[in-house]
Amino acid sequence: MAPYLLSLPFVALFTVFMAAPILVAVWSSLFRVRRSGLGLGGNEGTEFVGLDNYVLALGRPEFVESFGRVLLYGMVQVPIMLGLALLFALLFDSAVTRFKPFFQLVVFLPYAVPTVVAALLWGFLYQPGVSPLVEWLAGLGVDAQFLAPGTVLWSIANIGVWSYTGINMIIIYSALQAVPRDVYEAARLDGAGELRTALSIKIPMVAPAIFLTVLFSIIGNLQLFNEPAVIRSITSNVTATYTPNMSIYQATTVGGNANLGAAMAVIVGIVTLVVSVLASRASNRGTKGAL
Amino acid sequence: MAPMDPRPSTASRARRHGAGLVASAALIALLAACAGGGSSESPAAPADAGEPVTIEFWGWVPNLEEAVEAWNAENPDIQVEFHRMTGDDGDKIPSAIDAGTAPDVFQLGTAGMVEQIIAGRLLDISDYVEDVSDKYDETAWASVTFGESIYGLPQDAGPSGMMYRTDIFAEHGIEVPTTWEEYLDAGRALKEEGIYLAQLSPNEAGFWLQQVWQAGGSLAGIDGDQWTVETNNEASMEVAALWQTALDEGLFKVVEMWTPEYWAAVNNGEIATINYLAWFPALLKENVGETSGLWAVTHSPRIGGEETAGSGGYGANVIPANTEHPAQAAEFAKWLNTSDEGLSFLIERGGIFPAALPGLENEALLVEDEFFGGQVINEVFLEEATKAPSTWVYGPTHNLTQEALKDAFARVANGELTFAEALDQVAADQRQDILDAGLAVK
Repeated sequence: MAPYLLSLPFVALFTVFMAAPILVAVWSSLFRVRRSGLGLGGNEGTEFVGLDNYVLALGRPEFVESFGRVLLYGMVQVPIMLGLALLFALLFDSAVTRFKPFFQLVVFLPYAVPTVVAALLWGFLYQPGVSPLVEWLAGLGVDAQFLAPGTVLWSIANIGVWSYTGINMIIIYSALQAVPRDVYEAARLDGAGELRTALSIKIPMVAPAIFLTVLFSIIGNLQLFNEPAVIRSITSNVTATYTPNMSIYQATTVGGNANLGAAMAVIVGIVTLVVSVLASRASNRGTKGAL
Repeated sequence: MAPMDPRPSTASRARRHGAGLVASAALIALLAACAGGGSSESPAAPADAGEPVTIEFWGWVPNLEEAVEAWNAENPDIQVEFHRMTGDDGDKIPSAIDAGTAPDVFQLGTAGMVEQIIAGRLLDISDYVEDVSDKYDETAWASVTFGESIYGLPQDAGPSGMMYRTDIFAEHGIEVPTTWEEYLDAGRALKEEGIYLAQLSPNEAGFWLQQVWQAGGSLAGIDGDQWTVETNNEASMEVAALWQTALDEGLFKVVEMWTPEYWAAVNNGEIATINYLAWFPALLKENVGETSGLWAVTHSPRIGGEETAGSGGYGANVIPANTEHPAQAAEFAKWLNTSDEGLSFLIERGGIFPAALPGLENEALLVEDEFFGGQVINEVFLEEATKAPSTWVYGPTHNLTQEALKDAFARVANGELTFAEALDQVAADQRQDILDAGLAVK
């Protein structure tokens, strides 16, 4: 009996906060509110429509485009962010770094800033007319357009890199700390320098941790909402349906169509699952090759 | 402007129709009085009429507490509990209505009313409020009327007016424009001096909406049992042509509204006019205080030779469909929004620009303002308050359409589209959104 009792808190919380909402979303996505004419008579109940809401969602070009946008975003932002995280982790792990705790704190600190606040801060730096950064660049003869149609996505990506490099550094660094020290000693005896050790020993040894950060980043990027929603308040070049989650917000909160929103949410969930599995497969192959 | 423009006839037809509405409402009131019922006794009065009841009221106008206190002192049978709306209280109300825990009266902008009516959340209060229809002008009354039903009482209004920098116009010897032709000419003269006529802010749809309203247009309409898409109709296209000219000639400064960059541009005198709504001067004072004394207000430049004004819609008091005390709730809403006593609280203590006609007589609106060089700016807004065409209809997907307009205008600002193309695109999206909501569209 004890094992069941002990697992009860988890099962209860999982059911209430994970399983139930997913089931409600899937169920809700199969219905629509029945209305007629002008609709001023109020709702006439709901009706089962099968997959109609999914057809409707996928028939909206801006919703489909929003996936393309976050995938493009992810393909650029994730490698830069994780590259930096790995670099910092390796530096902190090597003996050469001085004032290590201080610099670790500096790299980690942005993660402690809520994303909305981070977006507001960066938004201020991006905005012509008030930004010291734009002014300084103008002084150097650079006309910086952080909020233009072609650049605003990367300005948002920059906020993501700034915010999340720290936490990913910590994950990789912790993994590095767990590598047995005698492996390094053996490497040194074989004549490997710091660089060689890093490339041939450390990175392969922490590959599972790196994969974990890749997975988290992919999931996080598919759910991108706060940063673009905040930046939208200072530039209309971020549309109302810029990311999949913004499209859902648009359909539900602004448009009042909860059933369509539920279908969109399920689609986001499925895409996340598929991309995660693909990343996982690719990584397994990669890890095996390396070891 | 084309002399064949059909708007005058549409407008006057609507005006006649409105007069008929008022007349028939008066007739109904008269018949009710003859029948000895007394028009304040509603036919749907609940069983507990006569027993003291307590109703809940949510609003955001400053110092409403004082109005509620005065009402409670005089009306022991209808006690009102007031809750001040802050933050996302407005977003909570739809769920509260669905859960049966909503207030009995609450404040809602007319732009968001249709969506709530379609969701079945608002009460048709025609039976309770028809006797105060003569306290409103036709356009204000039309804004709460859908089909045969009335769903709220307008509280505050936002007629349009043009705020302009007197110093800039005086210094360069440019006449203050009174029509759109003059407005564009003034813009060309200002451009020579390196000053923008006005702003183009894709993130603030209000400028566009109020001007389409002024031109006798709308984003949506009703034709029998179907919604119509009006976003790219003739009146809108006329405004689009004017804006396109101004944009193409470089008379508009493209800047996102409400941003520090925007206020900096206004403060620096880069923008000579702001053609916006009656509630905007307060924000102007708050954000560009350094320019105090340099501003004045006049009516919006007339479009197509017609003496019409724009509007930003109304704030209204509405009653949820499932309230237990509809008659009492309506009684209180009528007192607050249409009686001299209620209106004086709203105007003198709440600082609103009233929607009801008796409120427009209130002396408290007529104060000289240092910021506007001692001008009594409400003299202009009062003059304009009843000039908004009654052609405007908020559609069932108004919020979505407004977001679509913002996104499309951003592309116009970037030179990817013209205003006319943007409107066609938004109209197509709007049609689809109405269909997706399960409604009929022509």
